[in-house]
Amino acid sequence: MGVQLSKRCSLLAVTLGVVLAAPAVFAADIGSLPALKYDKAKAELGKRLFFDVRLSGDAAIACSTCHVPENGFASPTALSKGYPGNGHFRNASSVINTAHRKVWLHDGRIGTSLNDVTREMITEDYIMNMDMRIMQERLKQDPVYLKMFEDAGYGEPSNGKVRKAIPEYLKSLTSKNVPFDKGVMSAAAKRGMKLFTGKAGCVQCHNGPLFTDQKAHNTGVPENFDVFLDPMNHQAFIAFAMFQGIENYMNLKRDPGYYNVTLDKSDMGKFITPSLRELKYTAPFMHNGMLKTLDDVVAFYSNGGGEDGNKSPLLKPLGLSKSERGDLVAFLLSLSGDPLTGAEHVWQEPYPEEYEAIANWQKVRN
Amino acid sequence: MINNKSRNTQSTLHRVRGGKGSPGFMVLPVLLLAGISTGCATQTQADSGMAAGTRVAAGSPSLAPLGPPPIPPDNKQSPEKIALGKLLFFDVRLGGDASTGCSTCHEPNQGWAWAEDFSRGYPGTVHWRNSQTIINSAYNPRHFWAGSASSLEKQARSAARGGVAGNGENDIMEARLALIPDYVTHFREVFGTEWPLIRDAWRAIAAYERTLVQRDTPLDKYLQGDKAALSEQQVRGKKLFEGKAGCIQCHNGAMATDFSYYNIGIPPNKRWEEEGLAQITFRFEQYAKGQTEEGYRTAKSDWGFYYRTKNKWDRGKFRTPTLRYTLYTAPYMHNGVFYTMEEVVDFYNRGGMDEEGRTTFFPENKSQLIKPLGLTDEEKEDLLAFLEAFSGEEILIDPPELPDYAPLFTKQELMEAKK
Repeated sequence: MGVQLSKRCSLLAVTLGVVLAAPAVFAADIGSLPALKYDKAKAELGKRLFFDVRLSGDAAIACSTCHVPENGFASPTALSKGYPGNGHFRNASSVINTAHRKVWLHDGRIGTSLNDVTREMITEDYIMNMDMRIMQERLKQDPVYLKMFEDAGYGEPSNGKVRKAIPEYLKSLTSKNVPFDKGVMSAAAKRGMKLFTGKAGCVQCHNGPLFTDQKAHNTGVPENFDVFLDPMNHQAFIAFAMFQGIENYMNLKRDPGYYNVTLDKSDMGKFITPSLRELKYTAPFMHNGMLKTLDDVVAFYSNGGGEDGNKSPLLKPLGLSKSERGDLVAFLLSLSGDPLTGAEHVWQEPYPEEYEAIANWQKVRN
Repeated sequence: MINNKSRNTQSTLHRVRGGKGSPGFMVLPVLLLAGISTGCATQTQADSGMAAGTRVAAGSPSLAPLGPPPIPPDNKQSPEKIALGKLLFFDVRLGGDASTGCSTCHEPNQGWAWAEDFSRGYPGTVHWRNSQTIINSAYNPRHFWAGSASSLEKQARSAARGGVAGNGENDIMEARLALIPDYVTHFREVFGTEWPLIRDAWRAIAAYERTLVQRDTPLDKYLQGDKAALSEQQVRGKKLFEGKAGCIQCHNGAMATDFSYYNIGIPPNKRWEEEGLAQITFRFEQYAKGQTEEGYRTAKSDWGFYYRTKNKWDRGKFRTPTLRYTLYTAPYMHNGVFYTMEEVVDFYNRGGMDEEGRTTFFPENKSQLIKPLGLTDEEKEDLLAFLEAFSGEEILIDPPELPDYAPLFTKQELMEAKK
């Protein structure tokens, strides 16, 4: 549904351009998220894996190092931490509701499954730099995992099963008790919703139950110069661009975004529309964390977005008043639910400090 | 990068085949320049087990003084390249998390090796074999204990990328070099590229390693005519080495190795029975080296040369190591099970058994050259004294000061960039 609407909007944008900027009411196909079914034992295993630093090459970082529960499972810093020895060049998105998505990562380079996303995050050298063959053997060395994999019906630990278990856990990370979903919104939030679907035009891209069309747009978000001025971040960026086959990567002074997927110059600087759920926890915002608060985000759009030759024609100055901007922020906050920071969502048991030796090693099969 | 990491098996045979041209090409200069004799030319056929007894000490090539190292024609030495290679050898940024470089496991103060049975490995891991000295590695036609790399250049690359060694990926390592301005200049001067290429890093490192040679040991001097260079005891030891003890059957030529592969009866390292971390690496290696499923499930020792050939008669075979510089490179053997040369000599004297009677898990492959020697205590002392003659002064250096990262662009340049 959201896809269709978005297609229609793009077409409108191309053909009618300016008209869109005028106050209008868009079909508000926004709504609550359907519940996801998941396997409890597999998700429990995935949860332990998600918080386990032994899933990274030098056993220093876990998925949760950048996808921080207290921060809505997103990066609290503008640029993610990255693997030890380097930095990063983007802001880790929230993984809450990620199981509902059809396309992943800010540049949309994975459009298959969370299984593939999991592999990419674990193996990528500037992220977790894990040789998954070593990972498998680490897991086989931990009796708790042996039991959990068995209980989950996976048999013995393997790379493939890790790539199934973590996505199963991610299905459990969905918005809970969201005022918008429950229809208990403040008057300001209700006014904000009207602006959202009308005058402000947000819904043109932020639509569907996830409040994203999952398509790439250029909104002119300014570059985060820390990507290029800090060699730790820049090396991660260069490694990424080199590996992705982006030409002239040594001279790039901007994040190519969706261009990485299409190699079409008109896609330079486009990024996949982010979900608006759980924004209460996930600051800073945008693919590179350049906007610190929701006030900044709304002000950014009210001014018609940033500056870019490829900027989407959907973006025009909105002329929102201060109170309108406040109403919009109230609406955005009504899209956030309870924090997912309890034991149900966060692995809280300690991990063993050392790998136990397998007893009677000579006699047992590996 | 993705493929490499998530792939289930990595056939080492590809590497063997890929490097097929190299051994011959390496052997020739060794023969010409260093006077090393013919052992290496027939390395894969040597000691098939069937030829047992036909090789006698008298027929072995002699020990010889070490000549200058062979220099491959496609990676000539230059002072600038060697200087760059030295920096890179000590630069931990040529590794996954910028903590583990060449010198991390080939530590000058530890014999340019690592003074534990297993090499220390990448953080979060331990290695499964003993780190070998860099000194005189320039003369090896192949590298690693099973000879899986056919040049120093390839050895550097494999070590920097291996999961339990450097765990580095080409792209991030190359990116790091590009952000170190001194390196950019240095690589441009030496290799003529706009930006450093990671393969040139391996070439520079290899060039530096080709300077780490020792050719003035007491044995070299003795063989060049200085009869006073060895003590009387050492001369007696030499006689045993070439005769009763039979060491020369494999430890011959200028490098005191025939560069061939043998199962001499080394027992597995007990750490695999006792340490979880070591067990992890053990299984990973079976997986990574392309074992069969059954091999992965049942292997309880290092199958060595088998991983390259996949011939069952090669299980438990390892490359004959040099005896040069061994004064500084304890512990010994592919898995470091012997911490002293006395233990080594006792092991051979027992006919390839440790003091508990442990030996290889593949006794059917054990070389028939290995048998009880019946050395007296005095003879063992003589032999040990002679073994010291393979080492000169310890080679120690101060690690170089490494150049820093610097931003590639100024803020002004970034602000002016057209969007």
